[in-house]
Amino acid sequence: MNINDINRKLNKKFDGRVTAELKDGCIVLSGELEDWNDIVDAGMTAATPHSSTHVVNDIVLKNAVPEKMHIPSVQDDALDGEKCDVLIIGGGISGCSIARELARYKLSILVLEKEADLALGASGRNDGEVHPGVDLSKGTLKHKYIRRANHMYGDVCRELDVPFMRTGQYACFTHKSWLPFVWLYAQWRRNVDGIEDTRIVLGDEIRKQEPEISKDVAFAISNPSSGSVSPYNLVIGYAENAVDNGAKISLNTAVTGMKVENGEIKAVYTNRGTVYPKQVINCAGVYADVVAQMAQDRFFSIHPRRGTNSILDKKTGARFNTIASVVGAQTPGHTHTKGGGILHTAHDNLLIGPDAVETPERENTATGPDSIERVFAKQKITMPNLTERDIITYFTGVRAPTYEEDFIIETGRKTKNIFHVAGIQSPGLTTAPAVAEDVARYMAQKLGAEKNEGFDPIRHAPPHLAAMDDEQRAQLIKENPDYGVIVCRCEEVSRGEILDALRSSVCVPTVDGVKKRVRPGMGRCQGGFCSPLVTQIIAEYLGVELTEVRKSSEQSPIVFKSKKGSREND
Amino acid sequence: MKQLVCIGCPRGCRLTVEEKDGEYIVTGNTCPRGKAFAISEMTAPKRTICSTVKTVFAGCPVLPVRVSDDIPKEKIFDVMREINAVTLRERIGRGDVVIENVLGLGVDVISTSDLLKQNINAVSEGAK
Amino acid sequence: MTDVDVIVIGGGPAGLAAAAEADENGARVLIVEREERLGGMLKQCIHDGFGLRRFGERLAGPEYVERFMDKIAQTDIQVQCQTFVTRAEKTDEGFAVTLVSRDGLKTVTGKSLVLATGCRERSAKQVFIHGTRPAGVFTAGTAQHFTNRLGVMPTKKCVILGSGDIGLIMARRLTLEGAQVLGVYEINPTPSGLTRNIHQCLTDYDIPLHLSHTVTRVFGNDRLEAVEVCAVDESYKPIPETAERIECDALIVSVGLIPENELAQSLGVELDRHTGGPVCDAQLMTKVPGIFSCGNALHVNDLVDFVSESGEEAGRNAAAYCAAEQNRVDINIGDEFLYLVPQQLDLNADNSKAVFYFRSKKVVDKSTLRLKVSGEEVWKKTYPFLRPPEMQQLTLDMTKFGIDENSDVRFEIEVVK
Repeated sequence: MNINDINRKLNKKFDGRVTAELKDGCIVLSGELEDWNDIVDAGMTAATPHSSTHVVNDIVLKNAVPEKMHIPSVQDDALDGEKCDVLIIGGGISGCSIARELARYKLSILVLEKEADLALGASGRNDGEVHPGVDLSKGTLKHKYIRRANHMYGDVCRELDVPFMRTGQYACFTHKSWLPFVWLYAQWRRNVDGIEDTRIVLGDEIRKQEPEISKDVAFAISNPSSGSVSPYNLVIGYAENAVDNGAKISLNTAVTGMKVENGEIKAVYTNRGTVYPKQVINCAGVYADVVAQMAQDRFFSIHPRRGTNSILDKKTGARFNTIASVVGAQTPGHTHTKGGGILHTAHDNLLIGPDAVETPERENTATGPDSIERVFAKQKITMPNLTERDIITYFTGVRAPTYEEDFIIETGRKTKNIFHVAGIQSPGLTTAPAVAEDVARYMAQKLGAEKNEGFDPIRHAPPHLAAMDDEQRAQLIKENPDYGVIVCRCEEVSRGEILDALRSSVCVPTVDGVKKRVRPGMGRCQGGFCSPLVTQIIAEYLGVELTEVRKSSEQSPIVFKSKKGSREND
Repeated sequence: MKQLVCIGCPRGCRLTVEEKDGEYIVTGNTCPRGKAFAISEMTAPKRTICSTVKTVFAGCPVLPVRVSDDIPKEKIFDVMREINAVTLRERIGRGDVVIENVLGLGVDVISTSDLLKQNINAVSEGAK
Repeated sequence: MTDVDVIVIGGGPAGLAAAAEADENGARVLIVEREERLGGMLKQCIHDGFGLRRFGERLAGPEYVERFMDKIAQTDIQVQCQTFVTRAEKTDEGFAVTLVSRDGLKTVTGKSLVLATGCRERSAKQVFIHGTRPAGVFTAGTAQHFTNRLGVMPTKKCVILGSGDIGLIMARRLTLEGAQVLGVYEINPTPSGLTRNIHQCLTDYDIPLHLSHTVTRVFGNDRLEAVEVCAVDESYKPIPETAERIECDALIVSVGLIPENELAQSLGVELDRHTGGPVCDAQLMTKVPGIFSCGNALHVNDLVDFVSESGEEAGRNAAAYCAAEQNRVDINIGDEFLYLVPQQLDLNADNSKAVFYFRSKKVVDKSTLRLKVSGEEVWKKTYPFLRPPEMQQLTLDMTKFGIDENSDVRFEIEVVK
């Protein structure tokens, strides 16, 4: 589409309030609009899907207070003057998987994450599906990586000791008459796009495996290669293995600016001092365009897209062992209700969701009631027995798509020593292992790095005793009796496992940090019984008072001091 | 005439108290405790309080206590201040006195648990 | 031969009463308790008012439960604390229970099983509170654990959602300890807790109670900064125009208790959807022969005295249990009930002193409780009022009503006009 066509379309929609111009190989939009959905619509209108000419959307949202990036409260010089070969911005799946793959080379690697833990953005707040790629067309970066990465999952999760299972996936159809067309589509996907496990199965055959699937489902596209992974455990697994092999991770560290001279990043400013990297990898998720801007290399825009997932009691997980969604059924209302499905998680719960809602807020992960109602209404078509009563928790994540809706995996266009891994949205979790390999290989070549002969790909997660057979479990308890003290009754987590999490290579001694790593509080009582106990164990481990223990960030104390043991002066 | 809810037992009877010639006439009660409660509410309301006191023993940072008998309602926060001032250094048992004759009210603050006696593994941290 | 006769799972007030009673009836008993010490939730219920029925005294929770613990200590009952039941299975001789503790894994066998597993609290997410996920959202029981057992304060200034008894008790406790309780919000038009607790915990301390209101949202990315409260309409839907933001550092939820019966379910025990506990006969035996239920695992009680009584009933019958032929008939209830326990009668057992527990669905004034057998009224009793938060208990000689296996046994509540 040429720029005149774009402007013609925009004028038709927005009466001249929005203009597009071609600048530095990008389509830059400017103007002012009242509704965020219109701004996104303008971006979509100007964009060509999967194109490498990106839309930079500078349309201003009228009367809106711009969202300020969350900067951690800590201000120190812990990193001041630090030099490294590769600086990775963002401790999500992209940043941590790249760090681990880079650790195969003799390089000094530093990962910066602005939050108190890894995977607190979209990487940890998604459904954990390992996609087959059945919805992807040839010619996109998503498609380029999907099959290779999907095949890697078994090995990667074994090496990194991360829960993963191949659950298979059914994209269900309720209209029998669609069968011939869908059959052709499936053939095309299999033979032309190379999604080799695609096949059609009939409703009765599916129900033999999954009796909970509705009788209204006539047939489905089946992809047995689909799976469920614990997304945050995968990020943590990658990060710990990276650290075990020499990489450094700095949490609570936000990039606040950069010094760029002659198309080269000279210094990176953070709340913990100035860092001097040779190369920078931008894995900043929803802030990838902001980081690109700091590097004077902004050629794309991220438009945040929220999605809410609900987690159901494990009792329901026992009834449904796959991933299913419904296609082509009448969804109640809302055009924004994209995809979503029912998924048996790697921890044996059921997960319902997500939906997809455009938002100007990159960091707002607050949940709202509408999302859940919408998603349930849709998924009940596939599984009629589904009920909101089984929900034990829900969470919202914000995805980071570009207007072209494909990944950006390339070196800087104007700035030489930055590499962007941006626009990483679904299936970005799935593709990460393969993307990381390629990015690391490219970076190592660029820096002329040698192989790190001492690299050990194996990482050990804390043992999960409840899943072991009696003999193995008894043996471990004999070695460490703390494994026999159950702290979280719902998920059967022992004191020993919690202490292991506290001793791990990327130690995050907070209630949430422990919860993510070994699951106390993840069950049906949501920490009602165990949170005081976990708080106590963390305090003991750190040798501090209970009042010093945090839920997550530095400003999130669990409890305050009481007035006991002193006479008030009032 | 005054409406009250009896707190003597979980039944929660709705009481009506009327003053007649210096005497209180109570209706709505289903037992004598209700009458006694109503009269006390009109003349000198009393309450019991339960709380905890700090200890020096690890594994048992606080020991539950209560007052041995009801105290005047308006003294609740004064007694709480006394309770908060305590740091327990002895392994006392259930029913043992923590504060004798608190604020001269003729009522003791007593321990309501044998926690410190059961908690044999806990070591004294000494005065912190 | 089995290791013991009766395995009691849970060392709270119900389990202790069951164990003591089973022991008294000659059984070899094992108590399995997952916490470090016996006593269950009463360890943290330091307020008074326990034991009025049983001991004629107003005891604090620890005082009440320690009396049972003292009694247990005088017997040969085996006690395993800090021990978790990882699974239980039916065997030819009875049951095999696999235990995890510091000593490793061990399987213990018994002829009968008493499930005294108590209940858990409904969480904030289960009542669909939305917004962010800051520190400072607690269930009342969690707040109580921190305050009463660990001696730290979960809040300085809070809002309480739900007027359940633990919420009311915590409103008073936190106020006594120097925190500010800005208000208690209850979605129902009537309080959920005991009337006397409304008075001695809220009125006494000038804490406002807002009926037909709920909390819809929490704010704050780190520690909780505020909550949004809303009035609700008759169908409990929040009315958006009434939304109000209240600055505070914690939200404490007391929005109901759920009997813990996951272990029971794993053994095939059928649950009653009204109580959330097992369907039982008057001997408190579930539909799986040899498995008994009591206390808050059976149904949520408001008085510990009743918990102990049901424990004793279950313990006595578990001790006497031998796989006798059963002849059960259902006990039906009218729509006016929230629930009635037991839900069945075993006509082969001794039902001369059958104990029933029930709650009405709504607050009603003067009402008559009627027992009908195949349509004919055989017994009645009139109550001055019935309120869902206040459980009723009655003992009936069920042998004199001519009930046989074909009878339609039915309780009804009729409001006297």
